[in-house]
Amino acid sequence: MNFRPTIVAFLCNWCAYTGADLAGTSRLHYAPNVRIIRIMCSGRIEPTFILKAFKEGADGVLVCGCHPGDCHYQEGNYKCLRRFKLLEKFVCQMGIEKERLKLEWISASEGKQFAELVNEMTAAILKLGPGKVQKTLELEHLKTN
Amino acid sequence: MSQELTKPKLKLAVYWGAACGGCCVSVLDTHEKLLDIVAAADLVFWPIAMDIKYKDVESMPDKSIDLTLFNGAVRNSENKHMAQVLRQKSKILVAYGSCAYMGGIPGLANFFSKNEIFKRAYEETESTVNPEKTVPITSVQVKEGTLEIPLMFNDVFPLNQVVEVDYYIPGCPPQSERLIEVFSVISAGTNLPPAGSVVGANDKTNCDECKRKKSDKKKVKRFYRPWEIQDDKETCFIEQGVICMGPATRGGCGVRCVEGNSPCRGCYGPPQGSSDPGAKMMAAIGTMIDSNDPDEIDEIIEAIVDPAGLFYRFSLPGSILGRKVL
Amino acid sequence: MEEPRIGVYVCWCGTNISKMVDVEAVTKEVGTLPGVVLSKNYKYMCSDPGQDLIIKDIKSHNLNRVIVAACSPRIHELTFRNACEKAGINPYLFEMANIREQDSWVHTDRTEATKKAIDLVIGAIRRVRYHEPLQKRSVNVDPATLIIGGGISGMTAALEIANAGKKVYLLERTDHLGGQVARFDLTFPHLSSARQMIRPMIQRVENHPMIIVYLNTELKEVSGYIGNFKARLVFNGAEQPEITFGNIIAAVGLKPFDPSVIAEYGYGKFPDVITSLEFEDKLRAGRILTKYGKEPRNVAIIHCVGSRNKQYHEYCSRVCCMVALKFVHEIRAALPDANIFEIYADMRAYGKGHEEFYAMTTHKQIIFLMYDQQKSLPLIREAYRDDDCNMLIEMNELLSGIDIEVPVDMVILMVNMEAHDNVKEVVRTIGVSLCGNQFFIEKHPKLDPVATTTGGVFIVGTCQGPKDIPDSVAQAKAAAARILATIAQGSVPVEVTTAVVNESFCCGCQTCISVCPYSAVSFDEAKKVSVVNEVLCKGCGTCGGCCPAGAITSKHFTDRQILSEIEGIMSMSY
Repeated sequence: MNFRPTIVAFLCNWCAYTGADLAGTSRLHYAPNVRIIRIMCSGRIEPTFILKAFKEGADGVLVCGCHPGDCHYQEGNYKCLRRFKLLEKFVCQMGIEKERLKLEWISASEGKQFAELVNEMTAAILKLGPGKVQKTLELEHLKTN
Repeated sequence: MSQELTKPKLKLAVYWGAACGGCCVSVLDTHEKLLDIVAAADLVFWPIAMDIKYKDVESMPDKSIDLTLFNGAVRNSENKHMAQVLRQKSKILVAYGSCAYMGGIPGLANFFSKNEIFKRAYEETESTVNPEKTVPITSVQVKEGTLEIPLMFNDVFPLNQVVEVDYYIPGCPPQSERLIEVFSVISAGTNLPPAGSVVGANDKTNCDECKRKKSDKKKVKRFYRPWEIQDDKETCFIEQGVICMGPATRGGCGVRCVEGNSPCRGCYGPPQGSSDPGAKMMAAIGTMIDSNDPDEIDEIIEAIVDPAGLFYRFSLPGSILGRKVL
Repeated sequence: MEEPRIGVYVCWCGTNISKMVDVEAVTKEVGTLPGVVLSKNYKYMCSDPGQDLIIKDIKSHNLNRVIVAACSPRIHELTFRNACEKAGINPYLFEMANIREQDSWVHTDRTEATKKAIDLVIGAIRRVRYHEPLQKRSVNVDPATLIIGGGISGMTAALEIANAGKKVYLLERTDHLGGQVARFDLTFPHLSSARQMIRPMIQRVENHPMIIVYLNTELKEVSGYIGNFKARLVFNGAEQPEITFGNIIAAVGLKPFDPSVIAEYGYGKFPDVITSLEFEDKLRAGRILTKYGKEPRNVAIIHCVGSRNKQYHEYCSRVCCMVALKFVHEIRAALPDANIFEIYADMRAYGKGHEEFYAMTTHKQIIFLMYDQQKSLPLIREAYRDDDCNMLIEMNELLSGIDIEVPVDMVILMVNMEAHDNVKEVVRTIGVSLCGNQFFIEKHPKLDPVATTTGGVFIVGTCQGPKDIPDSVAQAKAAAARILATIAQGSVPVEVTTAVVNESFCCGCQTCISVCPYSAVSFDEAKKVSVVNEVLCKGCGTCGGCCPAGAITSKHFTDRQILSEIEGIMSMSY
């Protein structure tokens, strides 16, 4: 089977999203399976979004914010970190492999690091195979509309 | 009630799917008000209280039941069948109680597969002696013929994932007073809330009614399980480090658990602004962790032994993920 | 909600996008989606004809939502928002899909890149449906300015603003103005007197009718927001009457690094091992003498003390190399026969006239000795009784590779510039952030180096990072110009995409209040709900990200909008 993982990435506007833009302006090539959603601050990213992405079929979810101490909004990234760690524990309990959910700090100047991060995560998910959130539910019992 | 008496009596059904029976008891807990209910409505189907066969219900004309209170989750083929039958026969189908609404306590089974549950229940429990490792099968031939039991599904479903639901009355069980309020509105038949509404509950979450002292100092250095601290009976549980689902849980119960000095567990489900109360609560609790150091954060989180069970005690099947991934 | 009528525009960006993304296929694929009225592609959407296309379509097709799939929204979101506004629809009913920086430029497989573009556009389509019109807002600006720090940066900014006829409160926590520059003797590379520069400046500041100087004064508390701040000041322990102002300039500077933590240099143990600032004191006093009152015959200058060393500070302090060369000139002038050793790790002469200054200094008969910071620092120890000097510096000279002993009577440590001890308090008080090196973070490192992410708060001088006098002065004047511009306008726009509380859902748990970095959320005791001060709110969305009741919404980043975008980008993936 030709498995092409889909990664949904939530990127903060000021660091990671700008870093991803820099990867573009620097013409760095990386795996085409990441779909980026722009958020003003990683502090806005809540578990609901991440779980929703898995539910919709994402094979991996990537969250990127500013490096510790560099948050555009003082400490949003720390708030994201705390929430993320709790969510990570929950997600593991739910049988989703740890490798499918990643939090990384990417600065506006780290286009290269972003490209590498996407490639590494893609490789890790390729090894794991497709996410199983959707397959697990017995869909035939659900109402059709 | 005299006015209602002049109207034709409503036809009322109460059914239980995967439930503990508490919801049916909550209907009885209306005490003398139950007389008002039966004055206004004929009970056409209520397995716990009266002997009517499924085939009798199946032969009723479509939409002939005015109101069905369906409690319990959908866990097996029988639950699903009856959900579909009652949907067809009822004008208004209400998911009554946390299980029908969100999956409830039976929904915790979604942390396991059916095989794991069978293995535990029929082979591994300390009280089981089952050397042949017999597990239930849906159909068996005996001398007298074929015996059939319902098929247990791998998943537990809230009612609205199987059939369309008109209203939801949350609670484990719902407060009987709120049932009476809702019943009065529905039997009056006017000013019905829009379909899909949660009724018999507040718009705001529990903190709104909670009498405990709350502040904006929601920083937690250590989480405790309720028995690990001496509750001061005055301060917000969360500010004492005990996770209380109150902020993410619709009010309407009268903050009963907290009034009894026990943190809210979330049986009334999410308010309108959120779909997944577990996720919302994780967001809130996670943010309150009073540390910026990844290792210390891990240590603090260690005290939350079972986030999935804690944050999704009543809501797992109805949550975004719905069940553990297998 | 009104029925969405969405127009989708896919940009070729010449060949930048069209080479890797089949723009025709994208246009076609999304054209039939619910709510999409028309779907077009064009060579350059950002060009005037491109924008006109949107404007015309909005009018003729009655569009109420617009999507442009093109470059990064960081580049042209504003352009297209303005186009929407011109055509009469609210600019926030627009959404961009980034198919250049995050698609065509980073991928090499045309099929995949096209598929990705389609996903991103569908995400935008699903999202934009839930966009709501937002109104631009502005607040009036109090024409006074508070400047924190009476060094050369703070004084420059103060004079600039005061000379324009606007009031300045200049706050200095020591008992004098002038900052670090007041300690310097000469400046590099022109060897002109720092004193002759700073003295008249201090006098101008002190005598200026529009500048109120507070010496020995600390900043106790700042409240308010851009255009309308208030502060409580404490003078000698006594609280002063509250002052009000519209803008803040932080010019708190840096302080010299304390080298006593570096064991090799024996600072504090050897009286004639002194810091560069202590040497400036000697120069200002006019005599270079050792502790015992003698003229040193051997003077060593050690570079990078506390700088460029992970153990202390990883960053370069930028000015010390040139200050060290300046010392050479001053020592040579005072002590024509002394041996001068420049013990350096790298010689950095990046600025205007600096390389020439370095070249000129090499003719001053000095001995350059290089050391390797990664390997080992020079070690200062006491000389032997019969040595002809006070101390010896043991070092491995990098260029020759030889271990040597350098005889010295005086050692000058070129100390790093580091943050003041109370810097965290200061940033907390005025609501800005520090980077890892404890420097104040600017709004944009290149395009907005004097503003911060807190409206109305500017940073100038070395507190933003080590710099020399000209750079500090330039920054101070830039910040002053920015402030004068807002004062001249009389009002400033404030963030539109703020948080808002739905009072019928808010249960009053106050989680949001404890997380807001700007104290923009407060509790209404009467209504028992949280309230957002939209002027203070910067729109980070942290409150929305942790409201357990879903009662706080981050405008333009609502749950509904983001969840729909997720559904959209994933809708084709299976």
